Amino acid sequence: MMIQIKDVTKRYGEQRAVDALSFNVARGEILGLIGPNGAGKTTTIRMLCGVVKPDSGQVRVAGLDPQSQGDEVRSQIGVLTETAELYSNLSGIENLRFFAELYGIDDPRRPHELMEEFGLADHKDKKAGAYSTGMKKRLGLAKALLANPPILLLDEPTSGLDPAGIAMVLDEIERLNSQKGVTVVLCSHVLHQLETVCQRYVIIDRGRTVAQGTLPELAEKCPGPTIVEVDADYILDGEAYRGIPARPLPVGDIQFTVSSRNEVPKLIRQLSQDADVYSVKLKGHDLESVYFRLLEGEKDE
Amino acid sequence: MNRRAVRAIARKDIMSITSNIQVWLPMLIVPLVFAVLFPIGASFAIRATDTSTSSDFQELLDVLEKLPQSSLDSLKGIFDSLITDQQRIAYMMFNYFMAPFFLMIPLMAASTISVDSFVGEKERGTLEGLLLSPVDMRSIFAAKALASLIPAIAISLTSFVLFAVCANVFAWPIFGRLFFPSIAWAPLILLVMPAIGLLAVLINVFISARVSTFQAGYQMSGFLVLPVIALMIGQFTGIMLLDAKVLLAIGAALIIVDYALLMAITKRLDKAQIFESQVR
Repeated sequence: MMIQIKDVTKRYGEQRAVDALSFNVARGEILGLIGPNGAGKTTTIRMLCGVVKPDSGQVRVAGLDPQSQGDEVRSQIGVLTETAELYSNLSGIENLRFFAELYGIDDPRRPHELMEEFGLADHKDKKAGAYSTGMKKRLGLAKALLANPPILLLDEPTSGLDPAGIAMVLDEIERLNSQKGVTVVLCSHVLHQLETVCQRYVIIDRGRTVAQGTLPELAEKCPGPTIVEVDADYILDGEAYRGIPARPLPVGDIQFTVSSRNEVPKLIRQLSQDADVYSVKLKGHDLESVYFRLLEGEKDE
Repeated sequence: MNRRAVRAIARKDIMSITSNIQVWLPMLIVPLVFAVLFPIGASFAIRATDTSTSSDFQELLDVLEKLPQSSLDSLKGIFDSLITDQQRIAYMMFNYFMAPFFLMIPLMAASTISVDSFVGEKERGTLEGLLLSPVDMRSIFAAKALASLIPAIAISLTSFVLFAVCANVFAWPIFGRLFFPSIAWAPLILLVMPAIGLLAVLINVFISARVSTFQAGYQMSGFLVLPVIALMIGQFTGIMLLDAKVLLAIGAALIIVDYALLMAITKRLDKAQIFESQVR
């Protein structure tokens, strides 16, 4: 296990930011840490870095205690947080050179390589304060990768990026994971993005673990109806189609609700006899639907 | 201690001073006024005044009479060698009355830079990244103290040299020889100046922990000049004279206070504690 969090609680005054939280991250895994705002993701990342002290419980990163061996732990973690700013009065390259010194990086070419890799080479001498939101984010990511860390903790690494930037960052995360075996913890609110890169998820809410596992494992924990969105030239008569609940969507598609995934082929076979079918989208098993069902279930308890 | 990180952080902080006009402007204007305008102004004023009729000058000389015996003893030899009242007044003015300004310069410079270095990092949101790096708190603290002290001492020494040149040049018609500095400047420059700069840095560590903007920190640290103003008043009213002995004693006291504060700070350098109290 690369990261172990066991029964960890952290209070700020009366408020429990993290409440008996437990989860593990295996070496070489990409884990999605998801939850609503204020769920405790930032506090968790900070505890992993040893800059926030848990009130109780155990945190281990690469077998080390982030509290007593903080700087050792921090030298193995590349971290990107939403709140940490870079030095706006220094240029992009000066920022990376500065952090290269702090992380004890000897190769003077490393900052340049990263500027190149993140498409910032043309702006390397521009003050970081004059960077656009997307450029700042890329510079922050470059900073996180400076020391070739075996662990990456990334909080919203794609927010503020344009579509090309998002694709580039997600590709980079996958590449580091598959080629270098980097362990990644990814926090994001854009769940469909996580779906393409994460192997496993931990869902937290109000500091507690709601559920964890792979997407199929999570889906199994909260069985729900399967939504099928179909683009077909068929006009609905009423609120059902051959006994299956259905309704037209504003964009012209038709949304069917079936009780399980197994009923989808039958529905499509039937429908394609009655009309021309152009596309079929399955919902209800994607991360977003599962996430909402799990949080909903948590609230009911 | 991580020397490489200390150097990098100190260099970064010193660079940040030059890019922030709020920081470097007061740091340069005050020393320029003290080191250049004051000696020129004082030289002309003394030369233009008839010392035998000016009541102000007589009062100044009367103050000297009131000084404690030990101070008078240290002045006696010098005063006997000075012939005119004009020379005596110029000598007192430059060598003693102006001395407190040279405590003010390192104090203000170290204070301004250290507030920027400590609070600025917090205000600009960069403290988090710094604390998330694998650099121990002692190194971060040492770097920030050095980044404040080195420029403060450099500015102070430059001001002193400028002052010495201006004093000797513009008061040449009064003395006809080099008369500045007196021996009292040795402990002032070598001991009191660095010690008072360090004191400003250390006190600002405590102030910075309690404020969230550079402006607030800068204003709060303003009270640091009060003891220096007290010294100034003390001299003008004849209670004491900043001679070598008094300055040595002040220097020794400052070193003791510096040491106590340093111990108190190094005990509190816990990264998690600092992060939790200083990072939003």
